Amino acid sequence: MNQRMKLSNRIWSIVMTIVCVIYMYPIFMVLTNSLKVESAISTGTAFELPNAETFAGLANYENAINAQGFLSSFFYTTFITVSSVLAILLFCSMFAWYITRVNNLFTRILYLLCAFSMVVPFQMVMFTLSNMADTLHLDTPWVLWVIYLGFGAGLAVFMFCGFMRSVPIDMEEASMIDGCNPIQTYFYIVFPLLRPTMISVAILEAMWIWNDYLLPTLILDIQDYRTISMLIQFFKGSYGRVEMGPMMACIMLAILPIIVIYLFAQKYIIKGVVAGAVKG
Amino acid sequence: MSEVSLQHIEKVYPHSGKKKSNLKVTDEGVLAVQDFNLNIRDREFIVLVGPSGCGKSTTLRMVAGLEEITRGELYIDGKLVNDVEPKDRDIAMVFQSYALYPHMTVRGNMEFPLKLRKMPKEEIERRVNQAAEILGITEYLDRKPKALSGGQRQRVAIGRAIVREPKILLMDEPLSNLDAKLRNQMRAEIIKLRQRINTTFLYVTHDQTEAMTLGDRIVIMKDGVIQQIGTPQEVFDHPSNLFVAGFIGVPQMNFYDAELALDRDGRYVVHMENVQIIPSEEKQERLRSAGATSQSITLGVRPEHIALLGDGDNMFHGVVEVTEMMGSVVHLHVNACGRDSIIVAQTANLEGPTPVTVKVGNTISFIFGGNVIHLFSKETGRNLEYSEHA
Repeated sequence: MNQRMKLSNRIWSIVMTIVCVIYMYPIFMVLTNSLKVESAISTGTAFELPNAETFAGLANYENAINAQGFLSSFFYTTFITVSSVLAILLFCSMFAWYITRVNNLFTRILYLLCAFSMVVPFQMVMFTLSNMADTLHLDTPWVLWVIYLGFGAGLAVFMFCGFMRSVPIDMEEASMIDGCNPIQTYFYIVFPLLRPTMISVAILEAMWIWNDYLLPTLILDIQDYRTISMLIQFFKGSYGRVEMGPMMACIMLAILPIIVIYLFAQKYIIKGVVAGAVKG
Repeated sequence: MSEVSLQHIEKVYPHSGKKKSNLKVTDEGVLAVQDFNLNIRDREFIVLVGPSGCGKSTTLRMVAGLEEITRGELYIDGKLVNDVEPKDRDIAMVFQSYALYPHMTVRGNMEFPLKLRKMPKEEIERRVNQAAEILGITEYLDRKPKALSGGQRQRVAIGRAIVREPKILLMDEPLSNLDAKLRNQMRAEIIKLRQRINTTFLYVTHDQTEAMTLGDRIVIMKDGVIQQIGTPQEVFDHPSNLFVAGFIGVPQMNFYDAELALDRDGRYVVHMENVQIIPSEEKQERLRSAGATSQSITLGVRPEHIALLGDGDNMFHGVVEVTEMMGSVVHLHVNACGRDSIIVAQTANLEGPTPVTVKVGNTISFIFGGNVIHLFSKETGRNLEYSEHA
């Protein structure tokens, strides 16, 4: 028994390692190429590690940051991501709280609509959406969160509802008796209870919004506002020439914040806050 | 002064598809609580008791304002509060699950209701410290609830309720998540607490021991209907019907088939098997004023009121099937008169320990006096001491 368990563990470790390598390798490739000089990045040499001749140091990164308005793109992307995630967390958790606690036909339909919105692909609505965004003047980074709120709501509401159902209602009732109005109950009691789910939702939504290319391209005015994922495209110059080095560097810079956030927040995802609230 | 008056309170849940046990169903929905009338006096300790699903928690939650009252009126201190928000009713509640706020410390939990009422800092501090002292949780004030044991959490929950100095303290099965030993201890603590704070208590439990030991008056409920309201003594001595008789008292009351008749002198006589039992004077009087007539009855006798005697005439005989040694008493399960009876036999008297020598398979004789019998109508289960319209 024990022997067999050990063997199967070993096999699983090997399989998982291979899967992990397959997943990680493209990122590793981008990283190595971002450190090479322009001429050493081609179809034939892309898999080679940088050597004494081809190693370019951080020159590509400098190019990427200096050229093409990287800093303003970085700022816009950060602003869009942060504002959208905050809006999603606040509105969706409140909404999910309401539709979980008030159980009637109307809220059940709302829930189904939210779940359904996850199934609709973006490509189906993008044309009408970009028209509408133009009409409503939602085509600047400052209000783009309204659109992301709509698209992010499905997943967020779904996750918040799932968690909310497992939270006993007693605490909210206790707070009502203690003297809270619904808004106070939400901010003092429900919001802190939802923290583990908030963090998971925030990471998922942040990764998607940060990396999103299609939606900002369609809606934002390309001349005035560029997010990082839009900017990467601008390293493709005219006549099919591509500045591979700075592009790779730019991709690395785009991935970095997400990886940092993920590593930092990972432990909070696992931690349960509800433990000890009720009998346990 | 804080009096609570519940008048013709009813709770109807719209049809949910699921058929709930024995609750009355009308076109409107399921009647969870029917025509509940109760006047709670100032500083009284009322216990609502009954099996699960009997509507006791629903009633409590209606008083708290967590459930809407379908019909009837609820008055707190003479003021109609049917449509008053829970926070404005000046009540506090202790939940079965404690319902502590996990992200706050014990102190934070206890301060919370006071902070919401914008009380001055010194007053909050004073009240929290005082409550913590009463409950013996001063040393845990800076801990989070998850670092506390079940009993400590329960104390915090009680503390959060009493810092408010509410008009009414509602408790919804506060002890049922604790183990037996801790439950006994906390029960005593609640009695002590009650002497220290001047509040009206409304306490819900399914445990008849808690009901008997804590309550000034007990309200026994079944299927949404009040069965009896009375002091523990009244309820124990004069149960209003078969349900109350069976529910209150451990072990359960024994029931037998018997006949009630009037003899030539106009006295009530109970015939059971070949034995004749004459109810005591007090019982005779009560039966007479309730207008009891000759009829088939269910006779109830509490196990501890049965006397084991040697052999004799005018007695019941039965075979011992099981003996349960409880320490100070032995429970004998006896097959007699075609039914299983439980008899509680003492293992000591004034002279010292007297081991019960009865063994399984022995035939024993027993009898009970006319002062300990309870007579119930066979048809309705009503105690014949109470007139039909009482």
